[in-house]
Amino acid sequence: MTKGKKPSESYVGKSVRAKEARAPLIGKAKYTNDYSFEGQLYAYILRSPHAAAKINSVDLSGAKKISGVHLALCGRDVFEHTNGITDHLNPAIFGGKSTRLPIMAVDEAWCYGQPVAIVIAEDERTARYAASRIQVDYTPKEPVVDAEKAIAKGARSVVPEWDDNVLIYVPFMNGDTQAAFDQADKIVTTDVKIHRFSSQPMETRCYNAVWEHDTESITLYGTCQNPHPLRLVLAETLRMNENKIRIIASTIGGAFGLKMHGHPEEPLICLMTKLIRRPVKWVENREECLLIGAREQQHKVEMAFDSDGNMTGLRDHFLANIGAPSACPGWGMAFLTGLTMPGPYKVENIDVHMNAVTTNKPSWNAARGYGKESTAIALELAMDNAARQFGISPIDLRLKNFITKEQFPYPSPTGLVYDSGDYGGVLLKALETIGYEDWKDKQKAALAEGRHIGIGMAFELTPEGGTIPGTMVAGYDSSSVRVGPDGTVRVLTGITSPGTHNGTAIAQIVADELGIDMDRIEVLQGDTNSSPYGFGNYSGRSTIVGGGSAALAAKDVRDKINAVAAALLEVEIDTLSLSEGVFSSSDNGDATVTFAEVCYASYTRAYDVAMCIDPPLEATRTFKPPGISHLPDENGRINPYPSYSNAVYVVVCEVDTETGKIDLLSLAAAHDCGKVINPILVEGQVCGAFAMGLGGALTEDVQYDANGVQLTKSFKDYVMLRMADMPLVGMAHHDSPNPDNYLGLKGAGEAGVGGSAAALVNAVNNALEPLEVVIHEMPLTPSRVWSAIQNANNSEGVK
Amino acid sequence: MSLHPMYARPRNLEQASELLASLSSGAVIIAGGQEIMPYINYGVMMPDVYVDIGGIDALRGVSAETDEVSIGPLTVHRDIQNVEEIVERLPLLAYAAKQIGGGMQVHNRGTIGGNIVAMHPLYDVAPALLALEAEVELLSEKGSQRMSLSELQDLSNHGLGTSSILTKILVKPMSPTTLWGYYKLKNSAGAYGSANAAVVIQLDGENIKSIRVAIGAATEKVVVVSGNLDSYLGGPYSSEVGLAIQKTCSDAIGEPLSDQQGDGVWRKAMAGVAARRATEMALGKLNNSSSKG
Repeated sequence: MTKGKKPSESYVGKSVRAKEARAPLIGKAKYTNDYSFEGQLYAYILRSPHAAAKINSVDLSGAKKISGVHLALCGRDVFEHTNGITDHLNPAIFGGKSTRLPIMAVDEAWCYGQPVAIVIAEDERTARYAASRIQVDYTPKEPVVDAEKAIAKGARSVVPEWDDNVLIYVPFMNGDTQAAFDQADKIVTTDVKIHRFSSQPMETRCYNAVWEHDTESITLYGTCQNPHPLRLVLAETLRMNENKIRIIASTIGGAFGLKMHGHPEEPLICLMTKLIRRPVKWVENREECLLIGAREQQHKVEMAFDSDGNMTGLRDHFLANIGAPSACPGWGMAFLTGLTMPGPYKVENIDVHMNAVTTNKPSWNAARGYGKESTAIALELAMDNAARQFGISPIDLRLKNFITKEQFPYPSPTGLVYDSGDYGGVLLKALETIGYEDWKDKQKAALAEGRHIGIGMAFELTPEGGTIPGTMVAGYDSSSVRVGPDGTVRVLTGITSPGTHNGTAIAQIVADELGIDMDRIEVLQGDTNSSPYGFGNYSGRSTIVGGGSAALAAKDVRDKINAVAAALLEVEIDTLSLSEGVFSSSDNGDATVTFAEVCYASYTRAYDVAMCIDPPLEATRTFKPPGISHLPDENGRINPYPSYSNAVYVVVCEVDTETGKIDLLSLAAAHDCGKVINPILVEGQVCGAFAMGLGGALTEDVQYDANGVQLTKSFKDYVMLRMADMPLVGMAHHDSPNPDNYLGLKGAGEAGVGGSAAALVNAVNNALEPLEVVIHEMPLTPSRVWSAIQNANNSEGVK
Repeated sequence: MSLHPMYARPRNLEQASELLASLSSGAVIIAGGQEIMPYINYGVMMPDVYVDIGGIDALRGVSAETDEVSIGPLTVHRDIQNVEEIVERLPLLAYAAKQIGGGMQVHNRGTIGGNIVAMHPLYDVAPALLALEAEVELLSEKGSQRMSLSELQDLSNHGLGTSSILTKILVKPMSPTTLWGYYKLKNSAGAYGSANAAVVIQLDGENIKSIRVAIGAATEKVVVVSGNLDSYLGGPYSSEVGLAIQKTCSDAIGEPLSDQQGDGVWRKAMAGVAARRATEMALGKLNNSSSKG
């Protein structure tokens, strides 16, 4: 074997600054909206102001009269030109319902904000102004807004051809849960309400569809996480050949699942360029971005324990209000919430029922955590509730019930196979990082002064790299490594970056495999005309499968380079070493040849020294994580995940009992994502997830009125945390390498929203314990916390 | 509503006033743009004419006489926070201006005039100015007119509009013995206030000689509480008096706002808490300075 760089020189494991960060930092990144073309036109979409209404007529004449307007179409017009949008994840595959998903409302609007008409004009203002001249005659209907009411007998079906509003019901059952509850020493019931909060990328969605006159094809510049799969959806929806569509996903300013496809605007804007044959751009505004929902669930978690505090049974019948039908994969979040029960706990008797309920609210899309954050919230609030009721420490109760590290690989009661972990170790490391015992002392001292400090912790198990058979949610991905005649490298990969800088991690991996300087490597992503066929970004997969496949391809190319180097130096391959870009051999004294010279020879001396290889210096490889199993077990269950990241989040906060306001005092996380390729990148993800989870638990809430009309329309009401709200996050890594994946990788990008949200709620309940106040309904706005304290005070008064 | 708006930048107050008198309802006055531009960018407003008063020198600057500080409405928040005449003579106003949200860019562009004429209940400047019994000077077709800010607030329901131009904000300098406090309760750093209270107190020895509280963000208009607090005059402050002030101020909130930051019941209660905390801040200054002495 040749020696690569010495371990001390390797990039993997080092905090390398992100290569992609320079351009955004100096304002030179090219986001999708930065692309404009000759003859550029702009779209404005008119949306339904009603949650449920019959559309009697759409009169476009007012819009068409405005100078500068090129086209105005209503839902029925668009319907004539297109098929229904192909589901990202068809619920029918899992035994659920499906329906035709029109791009715009035709005859009937099924949620507030559903597209009803579109105007194309010379500029955005004209398009918007013209849209205000469109007359739509609606007959409003009583909307179905609440999930419980939606499944009650006699509820109107949101989709007329369905006999009820349950999109999909899935039971997750194992063991004998009834017996566990019958024999339980103690049963703890926790009603958990998770509100509708989404992910709000700084860059909203944008699509710029360009008609290519020479090839009669469409190029879509779009904010999309999955360019290749979207191309297939567009081809099917627009009745075109897939090879007549090119997608370029440029720099993305945050995605978090929200830019996974299925959105009606994707085929809609492409249709416009197909009809007008000029470039058409649409930029989502914040109000539109806030339409995209997620996470709204209500749980009734029942835990059965024996007298020693061992959990013997888990029951959770939960509802997810997933909104109106959509081609986006949001509904799958509810499925995953059930599938990842009972998280890190070794209880085997489970009785979990998931009902994903269709309503007249706007639909969900994927959001960071993809349902696993809700599992963590439900379970971890319930665990703290149980610990309180037992009068034991929440740490001890968790340690007693965690799967232990000797039990891996661990078959979960829902059929998953957890690869590795040390859950107790992660918890203890997180507590050590925050200085748990010190805070306990401070808490006591503060209480003596009448101040309420709380310490809360929560575990989150985040299976990563998921794949679902029969869908374009694949478990594998591919990369090409191309080394040029000057020795510089281009990596093309099927995964994309939502702004996480996974390209830097891939460059680190490739640099180590090739034994060269990272500056010689460029990573290209997101263009369907140049990248290998790939599935893009979701499920914390990008470094696992993008990095894994790039490593395999780099190894293949390195073998070719080694062969030519050995031929040039007239030595055996296993005597070669490469250091600082120069090959030498233990068998040939001072003779050297540079990496670049070897590459040049590989291209130019195909008939003499480079006879030993097939030029060019290129390889394309696929990494298929071996931990995935799509072959059903005896109960028909599959393991769709190759890796099981996990983490513990700890929050210390102070509750101002007079106002209900929560101040964050200290934060810490301990994270197991397997081998850490680049600590800066992983810690950036953890801090970001922390901010999202805390924001969700504290202030972020998309509200609707009783008629299903959106109330939360801007950042004035949807308030995300700012720097000033958040203390620095104490970070610890606690790696248990994945035994199956390249370098032991697990995903790192998705985890943290649920764990941090649950830790915050647990911290607040811990702070309020002396007042006997417990809150399990999110978000914990000051008014909600204050009301709970007032109610406790009042009932105390009654006593 | 117009797709093709006109833009005018009058050079002096007379031109501006004449222009505004000649225009119909589709005109807007614009200076720092922090109030209006978000509406325009969002398509909520499509004005026919923008009257940019940013070029009128008479609307700029701060000047301090012995008995009056005159503030030009084009003075940006950052200057309100830092200009010596204001920091020294109107420290309550300087402090309140520091609590304005939006960050440095907003502080550098947003003007005190814009903040006042918007008459937005959540803004920070009005409670401070009302606690200080500020007056304003307005210019309309009918000429120049001076009135208290309190009167102006009573007269207008949706901001000042284009019927007149705010030309001056006039405030009596705070005496060195005036105690003041400002408390802004907000859910998180990026949120608007849910209760903003400004307090001005004069003491006679230990006893409260006068107290005036102005509470914003709790109702549609800033509520001034002074007469209702008369029963606490003549005695010293105590925690019981603090709780009584809290209750009086909370009771002064008639129809509380209710929005995503918090419901009306909480808002009404918080108005009292903010008032008491602002009072404690004011009296804390006394303790700090006496302990120094």
